[in-house]
Amino acid sequence: MTLGIVSLALILTSVVFLGIFSKLLDDIIESQAREINKQIVMNYESYINSVIETATYIQTATIKYDTLTDTKSLDELYLANTEIKKDVVSIVLFNTDGKRVAGSYINPQNKESIKGLSWFTSALLIKEIYHFSTEQGKSIAENKEENVISISKSVSYTAGKNTLNGVLLIELNNETLTDLAKKTNLGEAGHLLILNDKGDLIYSSESGNALMTELSTPIARTMFLGSSKATINNINMYISVNTLIQTRWRIVTVSNINEIRNALTRVSGILLLIFLVAVAVSALVAGLISLRVSHPINQLKTAMLNIEQGDFSQPISVSGQIEIVTLTHSFNNMILKIQELMARLVSQQREKRKMELHILQNQINPHFLYNTLDSIVWLAEHERNKDVITTVVSLAHFFRISISKGESFIPIEDEIFHVENYLTIQNIRYVNKFTYTISIDERLNKIKVMKLILQPLVENAIYHGIGDEEGHINIRGIMEKDFIVFHVINTGYGLTNEKIEQMYETMRGGTERPSIGIRNVYQRLKLYYGEKADMTISSIPDESTTISLYIPYKEEIVR
Amino acid sequence: MKKIIILLCIMLLSSCSKRNERTGLFVYNETDPFMQVFAGQIMAEADGKFPIQLYYAKNSQAIQNEQIEAELENNPSLLMINPVDRLGSYSIIRTMKEKNIPVIFFNREPLAEDLGLWDKVYYVGAKAAQSGQLQARLVMELFGSNSNNLNELDKNNDGKIQLIILKGEQGHQDAETRTSEVLKSFQENNFAIDLLAIEVANWNFNEAAVKTQKLLQKFQHEVELFISNNDDMALGAIQTMREAGFLSDTNNDGHVNKYDHLWIPVVGIDGLEEAQEAIASGFLYGTVKNDSKKMTEVMIELSLILLGKKDFSSLSVPLVEDKYLWIDYSPYIFEEKR
Repeated sequence: MTLGIVSLALILTSVVFLGIFSKLLDDIIESQAREINKQIVMNYESYINSVIETATYIQTATIKYDTLTDTKSLDELYLANTEIKKDVVSIVLFNTDGKRVAGSYINPQNKESIKGLSWFTSALLIKEIYHFSTEQGKSIAENKEENVISISKSVSYTAGKNTLNGVLLIELNNETLTDLAKKTNLGEAGHLLILNDKGDLIYSSESGNALMTELSTPIARTMFLGSSKATINNINMYISVNTLIQTRWRIVTVSNINEIRNALTRVSGILLLIFLVAVAVSALVAGLISLRVSHPINQLKTAMLNIEQGDFSQPISVSGQIEIVTLTHSFNNMILKIQELMARLVSQQREKRKMELHILQNQINPHFLYNTLDSIVWLAEHERNKDVITTVVSLAHFFRISISKGESFIPIEDEIFHVENYLTIQNIRYVNKFTYTISIDERLNKIKVMKLILQPLVENAIYHGIGDEEGHINIRGIMEKDFIVFHVINTGYGLTNEKIEQMYETMRGGTERPSIGIRNVYQRLKLYYGEKADMTISSIPDESTTISLYIPYKEEIVR
Repeated sequence: MKKIIILLCIMLLSSCSKRNERTGLFVYNETDPFMQVFAGQIMAEADGKFPIQLYYAKNSQAIQNEQIEAELENNPSLLMINPVDRLGSYSIIRTMKEKNIPVIFFNREPLAEDLGLWDKVYYVGAKAAQSGQLQARLVMELFGSNSNNLNELDKNNDGKIQLIILKGEQGHQDAETRTSEVLKSFQENNFAIDLLAIEVANWNFNEAAVKTQKLLQKFQHEVELFISNNDDMALGAIQTMREAGFLSDTNNDGHVNKYDHLWIPVVGIDGLEEAQEAIASGFLYGTVKNDSKKMTEVMIELSLILLGKKDFSSLSVPLVEDKYLWIDYSPYIFEEKR
């Protein structure tokens, strides 16, 4: 996600940058090409102006000197100007008939044809301008073989008293044009063309086989002003066209912009590289950041899920982002507080429960007392004094042990004695409807156990075990590994499995009426002796029912 | 997004409206005082009629070409061009024909051959020949209008006018025409002249001032008249002459004393503001006004026609050969109050 955004931003930036850069570069290329063209044009203009200056000077001189009398000085002036300038091939003044008046000597074979030459006729046709032409080809002057540019103009000259009309011809070679072209840098395969008003190629700076010129000339021919891009021979060229002063010619610069284009491509490459590196770096950074941020958050999440499932045991340890660590600390503190509160709550509940059960254990079933007192009354009425005494004594013992000076734990022999008293009373009351036996391992006698745990079981045994036939109750106390085990067995019909299940449920918290005493014992066992302590009920149908207590011996001391 | 669309709409609309009327005005050089005033008049007259943009080319056709190209980016509907190089007009006309943008050339006449390349090319200007003729007429009137009996300004009384011509650029169309026409007019009217010198001063004040110094040294009091191809050179010559003690207010009437041997009449062409001031104070005898006001008026008329706001019947000057609108020169001298 982060990576996506970063990439997108980078791509956008790159594209925008490239776009702007490309546009800017195009502008720069364009303006540079134009500037080069302008510079070239200005160089050529100043050259042409210098030629025109020479022509003007000669014109002025031509008017001053009389061609009839000052022929020699005029010739000298013409010659001097021809010789001073390396690009001037010849300077000649003709009369309107095409006959030489002054200046360089004409090649004899040209003498008669001057009047028909194009530079001559056009000079007479349009008098006010200089005519530039390359149609002549080779110079008309004697002993000159060069190809020339002919510059002709209608001029006035003095012949005695008269001012006559004539044609001035200045022939130039390509030397200065070439020199000027050499000075310009139009890039590889870049070149300079000069076209005349008919679109004919007058000059090309390209040396050799002029392949590029051949391709660029047709394009240049269609342009008169301004610039355009073109691909010539697979090279990107920028073609600028300008006018050449004093002529109707066009000067065309064909500059190679490939080199600059290549620079753009290079820059694009670099930009791409930068982009990729940036993406990689940001990916790395984003990864690190998410590791630092999300990893601790994930740890915290796992820990919280554990806690949600009730596992408070493990303190969370998270490393990484400082904020998350702080959060974790706070969370840990909170968990500790919760644990503390929960522990306090549990112990409070337990204390409360103990209190309740303590009250319960001290409670003597009032029915038992009424019944016993009833039976004492009944014995007394029948004058069974001995039984009265036995019953009253037993009752007294029974209560003494029940109270036990407020102690909760009493030696097992006391507990047994308590049960014996109870059995004695019940036996008298039920008129020997049952017999009982008690067998206790002597080692147990002095061990203290929670008091009043056997009596409810015995009460239950009597209640269930006494029927039409004489019942028997057997109470046994033994050591079994780490446990003190009491079995209270009574004869009788036994219990169905359903009944047993019902009793278990009652013990564990149900409120079924009949076995309230047993439930008390069970719960007190668990409360005082912990999870290891247990009470089981088993039964053999039509024979007997056994309730057994298992008291962990090592933990006989109240927790 | 909405903003961009609105912006695009505005751009489209505005580019459309530009296409309708925008005009480019190109003048060969800012330092030519006549052209500067002229351009100012055109701008003032066009104001409120159509949008116009002025360019000065620093006397370089290459720069003017560049400016024209730049203006083409704005999709102009009309170009008014005072070319640097009359022959450069060839490429300009070919280009504008391709783009179908009409052109009014003014005050420097392209070749007829080039103007003939396209029918939406016009020329507004004065005939150079006329300026020379009017200049000659001013002179002839000054010298008494009678070729057989020149007045007292023929100081040596030889029946000929000893004159010096200050010529513009040698070979320049206007310089050649003005020079030859003034001479031709004298000849036609049988005024005998003694041409002491034709000095080329390239239209330039300073050059004329320097060259006049040499001429005065050479000819001293022989000179009876200076004819200049333009006002600027005339004013240059006047400056030198004043430094040499000529043209002074010998009778202290606040005006150069015309009837003094130190007075040499000078005539110019163009009718520059400075020239008119010099005429008012008597330094310059007269000039032939190249009527830039009238030219401006006609150019604006033609512009409105080419922009489709008026038709050809609204022209105040006849359209010659569907191309030329010729504006007359007018002689300008000091009107003495009697």
